[in-house]
Amino acid sequence: MTNAVAGVGLAPDAAMVTFPIEMFLPGSDISPVETRKREFYDGLTRWRSAFACDGAGEAPMIRVQGTSVEDTFTRANHLMLANRWGDGLPLWPPTRERADWILGGAAQPRGRRLGTFPPRGGVTTVESCAIALAMAGGRPEYLPVLVAVVAAFLDAASGSEQLQAASGSAFPVVIVNGPIGAQIRLNAGFGCLGPDPQRPAGASIGRALRLLQQNLGGALPGIGTMANYGGMRYTNVVFAEDEANLPSGWTPHGTERHGFAPGTSSISLAFANGVTNIRRRGAKKETPEEDALQGMHRMADFMRVPNMPGLSGYERGTPGILMIPGVVAQTMAGLGWTKASIREFLWEHSKIPVAELRRAGCPAWIEIDASKVTRESIALDPWPITVSPDNFVIVVAGGGHPTNSYWLQGYSPGVVGRPIELPSSFERLLADADRDLGPR
Amino acid sequence: MVTLEFHDPSGAIEVKQPHASRIASLEGKRIGFVSNEQWQAYRMLPRLKALLEADFPGIEVLPIDAFPQGNAVIGSEETAALVKESGVDAVIIGNAA
Repeated sequence: MTNAVAGVGLAPDAAMVTFPIEMFLPGSDISPVETRKREFYDGLTRWRSAFACDGAGEAPMIRVQGTSVEDTFTRANHLMLANRWGDGLPLWPPTRERADWILGGAAQPRGRRLGTFPPRGGVTTVESCAIALAMAGGRPEYLPVLVAVVAAFLDAASGSEQLQAASGSAFPVVIVNGPIGAQIRLNAGFGCLGPDPQRPAGASIGRALRLLQQNLGGALPGIGTMANYGGMRYTNVVFAEDEANLPSGWTPHGTERHGFAPGTSSISLAFANGVTNIRRRGAKKETPEEDALQGMHRMADFMRVPNMPGLSGYERGTPGILMIPGVVAQTMAGLGWTKASIREFLWEHSKIPVAELRRAGCPAWIEIDASKVTRESIALDPWPITVSPDNFVIVVAGGGHPTNSYWLQGYSPGVVGRPIELPSSFERLLADADRDLGPR
Repeated sequence: MVTLEFHDPSGAIEVKQPHASRIASLEGKRIGFVSNEQWQAYRMLPRLKALLEADFPGIEVLPIDAFPQGNAVIGSEETAALVKESGVDAVIIGNAA
């Protein structure tokens, strides 16, 4: 709550009367409202903010001393955890030297303001991104991607202000299109959502975003974010679309959803709250047509669920991101499937009978949604999980193996795109990476 | 000794405006509620309304539904304008909103 107050420009405190969660549950004993009524009265009459109205303040540099490099590094990590600046994994202390090295990847001045990070309202600059990327083990050539991602995150259309604090465990999903993916070693193939020493960029960029969410945005578990589970949040999800394996005639996601010209390096940001592996391949003597169709039904079946957090993206966001491997996309394209026809199929076959929605109490959530379009959707039977097939995000990624697809269940009021701005030094940064990490 | 100096990653925040000043007392004042209609607000806020009316002579506490309710609308400029137009001296926002 204090994050939210700070985020609108007020001092980071508020007159609050707080109670244990049990009092907010159905059938609870609410007598503490009476026994603690004086606190309400005082909040209206006697309370005073502990903070002065003094504008923005610059954070000081931190100094740590130890008996050796090892000892000093350890003390620095302990200090960062004690200050709640970390994620529990080892951090690179963001020294001036390391942050400046990262800033070598900046296409904008270091002080360029990107906005304030919700809900706490931490002032966010290109330098803030570099500091987070330094802590996360990043490299300069990753910074252009992170800056674009943060710009999208801070766009109100992303819904990040709500999702930062909400209990539904939303995590950002970043899809990168264009040549920059391969250039900075961002994975589009096998294991693209997990650790990969050959293509490590996604982990650092996603981890840096998470650190910004916490350190500037205040999204600390149980304090600033009430996410019950917080899955996928160590590194969030950052991967590239496997454009090299897009079937002929299929357009990259960045072009399709955001209108960027093919070949443009860009990012697309959405939020998800679940990950599901779908074994889509057949097991016996299916024809290619049967294999494709049965796999499509299996995917639609996974989507046909009452995902009430997903209502926030019903009109303008996405019900989720479907990842299919290039080899599957090419097979399906050979059978006549397009991204559009896949979307149409999924939309049609993921509809839920309203009787099932009523049994599960879903209409109450639909009826209180902010969107008129969403509220009125309850008249549809069967009920489509999103207003339009166009809202499904379909990307080609995941390695040359035909068995599985992946469904990132949406909790995403919007899907926000940004082109990636590159520094003039970018080619040199890539050469430095080849020197440091070996050839791509 | 080895010294390591590094950036504070929590950055800066801006305090652009002060909180509303408090009222001197509740006697004879007009109080409103802005409710998100969740987390038992439909029980707790009426209880608080009754307590205020019992404890402070001349107080006027507006009905719980005097302003638009629900998370989707209580943060809007329209709701803020309605609160201002109502002439309330103070508002209580709940629950967990």
